[in-house]
Amino acid sequence: MRKDLVFGMAGSGGDGIVSAGDSLLQAAAAEGYHGVMTKSFGSQIRGGESSCRVRIATEPILNPGGNLDVAVALNWEDFLKFGAELPVSGNTVVIYEAATGIKETEIPLVGVTPLQVIAVPIAAMAKETAGTERAKNTVVLGLIAGWFGIGAVAVMKGIRKKLAKKGEELVNANQRAFDAGRAFAMEHPLKTSMAVMPSETKGQVKLITDGNDMCAAAAIFAGCQFFGGYPITPSTEIMQFFTDHVWKYGGAVLQAEDEIAGIGAAVGASFAGKKSMTATSGPGLSLKSEMMGLASIAELPLVIVDVQRGGPSTGLPTKTEQSDLFAACFSAHGDVIRPVLAPTSVADTFRITIEAFNIAEYYQTPVIILSDQEIASRKETLDPIDTSQFKIINRQEPHGADLVDYKRFKQTDNHISPISHPGMLGGTYLASGIEHVESGAPTNSGSVHQRMNDKRTKKFDPLKDRKDLFEVLGNPDAPIAMIAWGSIAGVCREALAMAQAEGLNVKLLVPYLLYPVAEGVYNEFFTSVQKGLIIEQTHLAQTFKLLRMHIDLPKGVKSLARSGANPFLPGEIVAALHHLLSELQRSHEGQLQPQE
Amino acid sequence: MAIQGIDFANLSLMDALDLAILIEDEAQERYQDFAAQMEQHHTPEAAKFFTYMVENEAKHGRELLARRTQLFGDTPRQVKAAMIFDVEAPDFDEARAFMSAREAMAAALASEVKAHAFFESALPSIKDPDVRALFEELRIEEIEHQELVQLELAKLGKDNGVDGSAYEDEPAAQ
Amino acid sequence: MSATCEFQAKDYKSDLKPIWCPGCGDFSVVQGIYRALAAIGRPPHEIAFVSGIGCSSRIPGYTTAYGFNSVHGRSLPIAQGIKLANPDLLVLAAGGDGDGFSIGGGHIAHLIRRNVDITYIVMDNQIYGLTKGQLSPTSQKGRVTCTSRFGSLEEPVNPLLYVLAYGAGFVAQASPTDLAGMAAVIEEAIRYPGFAFVNIQSPCVTYGEEAQQIRGLKAISESLVSLGHNPADRLAAMDLAQHYGEKMHLGVFYRNPEPAPTYDALVRERQALLSKDALPKENILDLFIKK
Repeated sequence: MRKDLVFGMAGSGGDGIVSAGDSLLQAAAAEGYHGVMTKSFGSQIRGGESSCRVRIATEPILNPGGNLDVAVALNWEDFLKFGAELPVSGNTVVIYEAATGIKETEIPLVGVTPLQVIAVPIAAMAKETAGTERAKNTVVLGLIAGWFGIGAVAVMKGIRKKLAKKGEELVNANQRAFDAGRAFAMEHPLKTSMAVMPSETKGQVKLITDGNDMCAAAAIFAGCQFFGGYPITPSTEIMQFFTDHVWKYGGAVLQAEDEIAGIGAAVGASFAGKKSMTATSGPGLSLKSEMMGLASIAELPLVIVDVQRGGPSTGLPTKTEQSDLFAACFSAHGDVIRPVLAPTSVADTFRITIEAFNIAEYYQTPVIILSDQEIASRKETLDPIDTSQFKIINRQEPHGADLVDYKRFKQTDNHISPISHPGMLGGTYLASGIEHVESGAPTNSGSVHQRMNDKRTKKFDPLKDRKDLFEVLGNPDAPIAMIAWGSIAGVCREALAMAQAEGLNVKLLVPYLLYPVAEGVYNEFFTSVQKGLIIEQTHLAQTFKLLRMHIDLPKGVKSLARSGANPFLPGEIVAALHHLLSELQRSHEGQLQPQE
Repeated sequence: MAIQGIDFANLSLMDALDLAILIEDEAQERYQDFAAQMEQHHTPEAAKFFTYMVENEAKHGRELLARRTQLFGDTPRQVKAAMIFDVEAPDFDEARAFMSAREAMAAALASEVKAHAFFESALPSIKDPDVRALFEELRIEEIEHQELVQLELAKLGKDNGVDGSAYEDEPAAQ
Repeated sequence: MSATCEFQAKDYKSDLKPIWCPGCGDFSVVQGIYRALAAIGRPPHEIAFVSGIGCSSRIPGYTTAYGFNSVHGRSLPIAQGIKLANPDLLVLAAGGDGDGFSIGGGHIAHLIRRNVDITYIVMDNQIYGLTKGQLSPTSQKGRVTCTSRFGSLEEPVNPLLYVLAYGAGFVAQASPTDLAGMAAVIEEAIRYPGFAFVNIQSPCVTYGEEAQQIRGLKAISESLVSLGHNPADRLAAMDLAQHYGEKMHLGVFYRNPEPAPTYDALVRERQALLSKDALPKENILDLFIKK
């Protein structure tokens, strides 16, 4: 039996394929499986093509998977629009709508012969059992339960709950559609069984959420009491979560008139002493960059989430990319460091968001969380998180003697000055975007500017020693290496496991702290490295260039970069690693020959 | 010049004294402000003159306060600073960067003339003989102030008619 | 002794020396603000004073309070963040006509419709002084400046009419020709429960034209009280506001007799209402449990 199965389904928005994916994921979670679900849409608000990919496994999942094990096409035109996002291989079972009229031997997939192709009269079954073709998605869920053993009970339990208010008849209609799908599967067994083994953790509590909701929940957990933002795909759900919940914790949220006002209000709230946050995507990050400069020079804590999408400009607003790296690291004018952190999954978005607040508060600085569309929108099943293990750091406030002749920007040993806020007696000062002396009074002195730049830069030195913001997986002495961050790190984690299973001596560095670049961590990592790949979803190889700017990369370390919406597959990375190994062997042979 | 909420016809001596003190205070504050502006903006001669005016106004204010205290002790004041504006104080825009001492004096002189006009215009409506006497005295004192400033002007000698502003740098963009 | 007697104007004067040109109208505005704050009587540490960029935006530095001299045009977004984060504070915003009606012109409409309890003071001098005398949004048509050598081709913004049309609950105008009046309207603006706007004609002695100096302003000044204007009459206020640029009406144009609830008050109400059924913060992830 299988331990892991990747489903990819596509249809038009009206087919409810994403809603079917949701039901499948929830049913899987209820049955104790681990799951990840990603969605992808065409550019229409309604009536476009939509697809989802659901991966279900008995072990924790690191990414949404590579080639599909099961492909479901409600119509081929829509399915094909998703191209590399729904890759079919020789191991894929293809299920499609018989009403398309296409023969099983003539499906429009080029250069691949799937394991099995099955035309199913999905629409007809829906019409016959539920009285409407709209129940196609429920028929599909029945097929999945029948063929792959997932959700036989839980799917209908979920649907019943969801539709309870809409009446018994609708529930029954769905039950009939589901049963019909399941019966069809039973009557037409697959050539090779692909049923998934039951999970050992069945019955245990699982959480299901996406990266945006996780980010917002983590922010509230970290003590964030203000959110100012403006709607922009794919970050908007963060603001939505705040509007649903932050009030309960004495906080407020403002949907501002524009991106600038959103971050402006957040800067104001931070000045007023509250932890605050804003979220956006690439174009909004550009608009916010002046305010980020202000928060840096005024040394105000602030968390800015950039959920990356394909850019520049509107680019690919619903697809993932990592191309805001430069914009995040070098977003504003002037000489200043703004820490940039990146989560790699929904699960670690919790920790990284808390870290972002802790760093912002401790160092009195804006911090950017560089999330991406995939992490932000994909749903993951998660084991419960013990929140008590997370430490919350609050800004250092002045007390007693600090408030006698209080100097807001006082030079201290660690370059961090206790920060007051309105309402605090004795702490009045002028916050400003203009250069200032220790008291906060404006100055245009070059020597003060030099000193203050030193202060604002050196205060981050300890951050570069935070090894816990990096993860090294695999053999630490391996000669072959990968570096990847964000959602791409998940793909590389899986590639690492595959490569190791194939006997490759390889390791992977996952940085959660992207900027400032922790030279020491990378240099230590590279000590054993002869060949390596920096893997990223940018066209200009931004990560590779950022690292090269700070570190003398070993000669054998190359870039593997491509634009967004062209996902990396674990298999292709493993192939690239094999190629590196053969290069390495050749070069060793080359070195040996002259000596003989 | 503005006065509001004061009924001169029924002004008591205490209120009249307090009013006079506030007028001196206001002028003193304005000259202080001007002196600070001049010091901050590299115009020392004018700063020096404005500081001299601060002292003059302060001196006069102290004399008035002594009389008020002698007559009325610390009976709470009825008139408020908000009731007067620019009676003896020069207008806010009389100050100028790099103004000459002569220009500073001209500004002060204009203010003393303005103050004199104020007391003169108020006199006809005043009924209380003590208040009348006080205002008469204050009116004459403004003439004495004018003479003081004119004396300072005379010390400068004749105006050579050179426009100093022709030598100044352009303002600096910030 | 009541709280209002505890502070004097000089208690709000900071140690910083203004960089303004001697004779600048802003010297009077800062005095007006000191007086108004003294009349209100809130201690300096409970006041947040935010500005943008421009000559006049230096003003928080000259005031003893929690000051924030921020970026060009953005005093209002920052001020509203402060007010929403801590509604107990007295929040003032200030800046020039360019800051408020050009680069930051998009914000004022939204502050007004949200009715955040902030007092916004614009020092209107019809010119960009800090950058050496370029055309500003309130410069008269035909005005010659270094960016309009042959005269401006644009109509000026009418700040009073703008904010009245946007629905501001309190709109007033003041000038250095009447400091007491200025202090009084600023005080009234601060006391108004909601967004309050005060336009102050503040002459630029360096780049302003002669007619815009105090003598010129005095010639066109008219007190709204002396005109018998009823500040509860919004249409009459709009009618008078049309004369911006020709006449200078001083005093309160409009004060909403029935002020709408402020955004910050509504936020507090919502917090009180919803905090009752909050999950403990450490259990917030329970929201994601699918049962």
